[in-house]
Amino acid sequence: MAEKPVGRSELGRIVGGTPRAIENALAELGASYEGTGLRLQRSGDEWQIVTAIEHAPQVAAYLGADRLRLSAASLETLSVVAYRQPVTRAEVEAIRGVNCDQTIYTLASRRLIEERGRKEAPGRPILYGTTWEFLECFGLQSLDDLPRALSPEGQVLETVGGLPPPPAV
Amino acid sequence: MDSQAPRVTVEGFDGPLDLLLELVEEKKLDILTVRLGDLADEYLARVRAMPSLPADEVSAFLALASRLVLLKARSLLPSLEPLAEEETESEEELRLRLLEYAVVRERAGQLGARLRAGERAFHREGGTIELPPRGGEVDALASAWSRVLALAARQREEDIVAPAERYSVEQRTAEIEALVAAQGQVSFATLLAGAPTVEFAVVTFIALLDLYRRGVIDLSQDELFGDIRITGRELSSAQS
Repeated sequence: MAEKPVGRSELGRIVGGTPRAIENALAELGASYEGTGLRLQRSGDEWQIVTAIEHAPQVAAYLGADRLRLSAASLETLSVVAYRQPVTRAEVEAIRGVNCDQTIYTLASRRLIEERGRKEAPGRPILYGTTWEFLECFGLQSLDDLPRALSPEGQVLETVGGLPPPPAV
Repeated sequence: MDSQAPRVTVEGFDGPLDLLLELVEEKKLDILTVRLGDLADEYLARVRAMPSLPADEVSAFLALASRLVLLKARSLLPSLEPLAEEETESEEELRLRLLEYAVVRERAGQLGARLRAGERAFHREGGTIELPPRGGEVDALASAWSRVLALAARQREEDIVAPAERYSVEQRTAEIEALVAAQGQVSFATLLAGAPTVEFAVVTFIALLDLYRRGVIDLSQDELFGDIRITGRELSSAQS
């Protein structure tokens, strides 16, 4: 039992077996948790056992955990980072049309987003992505569980992309 | 619609796109078909009604306002103002940004709803579990426990023995008196010969003070912290 997520390669090193076998075993494990109080949470290649969201009120009461509160502005910035990661601050600002310094700082200090290296672009701006805590706080078993935009416009945008395409060289 | 739930921000709107989107939704217009220039007047009215904003935020609102006004002007005077190629894309580009922002706001609303519903997971806190080192004997615990018991038994014996080693001042006084009577003179160091316990030394010293008080002995010391000579009073008085 680890308090931190465990990587697939680490699991392979411990129990042996091919990455494929590990992946299958994890999928089996995740399926076996159905109907129990536990879930298998995944971020990229890392895995962790967490409590099921159905029992959040009880677990929160036991832990004395405060409910996370975010302003609308923070939520917007967070959603851009979540759906577009890794993303730079400038890209978030281009989409939201406002300065996002403060909201990015807030989200990072609450460990909902984190730095993910730097973009190979002028100024080498910092790239941001969501964290384990983000998945936990929103009860997502992985980023695949992010709610999809329902509007047909949303689906169009999903492929078009909001930012102007990079100039052809 | 959830995304239209009241949102509380200091300035009422999160930014120019937010304001524009608000106008579109209020009028129940379709983002895909609305002529954005038509919204210029209303947009400006809203900006004018806003409480004072920091300069950099105002400029963001005004930049969008100027684009809207340009779009409006163009639609009013299509013949007089032939459009350059990049300008024809202007409305479409703005429309795309608005569409994208609408999606962001909808998603933010969904995320916010999840947050409010409190549907979240928790992971186990508190560090990895420390396992004992491997290779330990099965009965290691039992043997450890018997060692503890043996230790406790010995401790108890010592506790029982200890009171027997108490010294009484009367007994020690009698001893010293006999010694002085026999030898005439003894030194304090001799009385504490061996390895006396603190209790023994204290009792001896008190006995000496008692003997001196009763006038049985005389005490003399040549130098500070030096040895103390103890002489019988009859003897010393006979000498002088």
